[in-house]
Amino acid sequence: MASWLPIPAWDGLHPLIVHFPIALLLVAPLFLLLGLVLPKKWEGFRLSALLLMLLGTIAAWIAVSTGEAAGQMVTDLTPEISKAIQEHAEWGGNTRLIFSGLTLLYALLLALPLWFKSLSCRALTVLHLVFLVIFGASCLVLARTGHLGGRLVHAFGVHAMVDK
Amino acid sequence: MILSMMRSPRMPVLLAIFSLVLSLSAFSIAVQAAAGSSAEPKVEVKTTLDNLMAAFNGESNASAKYLEFAKKADAEGYGRVASLFRAASKAESLHAASHGRVIKALGGTAKADIKPPAVKSTKENLEAAIEGETYEFTSMYPAFITKAKEDKNRDAIRSMNQASNVEKGHAKLYQEALNNLDAWKGPNKEFYVCAVCGNTVATIDFEKCPICFEPKSDYGPVK
Repeated sequence: MASWLPIPAWDGLHPLIVHFPIALLLVAPLFLLLGLVLPKKWEGFRLSALLLMLLGTIAAWIAVSTGEAAGQMVTDLTPEISKAIQEHAEWGGNTRLIFSGLTLLYALLLALPLWFKSLSCRALTVLHLVFLVIFGASCLVLARTGHLGGRLVHAFGVHAMVDK
Repeated sequence: MILSMMRSPRMPVLLAIFSLVLSLSAFSIAVQAAAGSSAEPKVEVKTTLDNLMAAFNGESNASAKYLEFAKKADAEGYGRVASLFRAASKAESLHAASHGRVIKALGGTAKADIKPPAVKSTKENLEAAIEGETYEFTSMYPAFITKAKEDKNRDAIRSMNQASNVEKGHAKLYQEALNNLDAWKGPNKEFYVCAVCGNTVATIDFEKCPICFEPKSDYGPVK
């Protein structure tokens, strides 16, 4: 079993985990939008969006942590590669922070009608719309982080250490 | 008699054989001399534990040696070089400690055989330091890391990889000092050493350590 499906070390987990925050967090706005435009009976999309954000953010935390560990294993570290890793790490850290905040904010946004029952439907829609715009802009930060990671692998040839 | 030998019909053959032997001897001596002058000390790769022990011994000796070199540099008025040697000494002791932890995890006991260093002039000490560091990051550590990769010992790879990358920086700093030694005269000057990997820099112009990617707050000054 161990040779058929080897369990990667923490630093070797990075190439596997990085795709999760990208996929989950980039799909989340679609669910946000559907939850916003579809009738009330489709409200489940909003909860699904929150779940996607939560899973994506957890994956982002793991991605940053495994990435930091993977960085320490890079042999033949040149100043250019080191700089590229630092840039990727910096954007990764910011991405993690931004989406942690956004997930928390969205959870509060969903809970808002429970606290403020007098809040109008129109006001809520506007708040959701503003959130969607902010989330969409934040997706650009996520995409940039992914691009910098891809550049490290495909332009600089830096790979996390995965057992043969 | 000599004349009669010279006139002998076999003389050209004898002379040819003699020339051939002489040429081969000269060629052999030249090859040996060339090999002796350019080849670096051969890296003896054993088990990862043995390699770590060898690296631990090397780092411990380097740390002690650089402290002596620092004293000499201070005595000669090269304050900045002395500071660099002291910072590098601290870095080497951090590498030794890191290797020591991996050795312990592998069930071994880290021991160092500290030999008194040959302290010469600061210029010669810098040259010796460059030679030592270059051997480490071009020959010793790459060979040891390859072995550790075969053994899938990630802690050993990490420890030796960080040390190797830091030694590269040390050699560069020593070379800078050697290239412009007069400018390195005067009072001591602070260098900064990463407490995690031992990376040594003159200025901190980054947020995260370029070697171990830990925050810059892990850097401490050494003068």
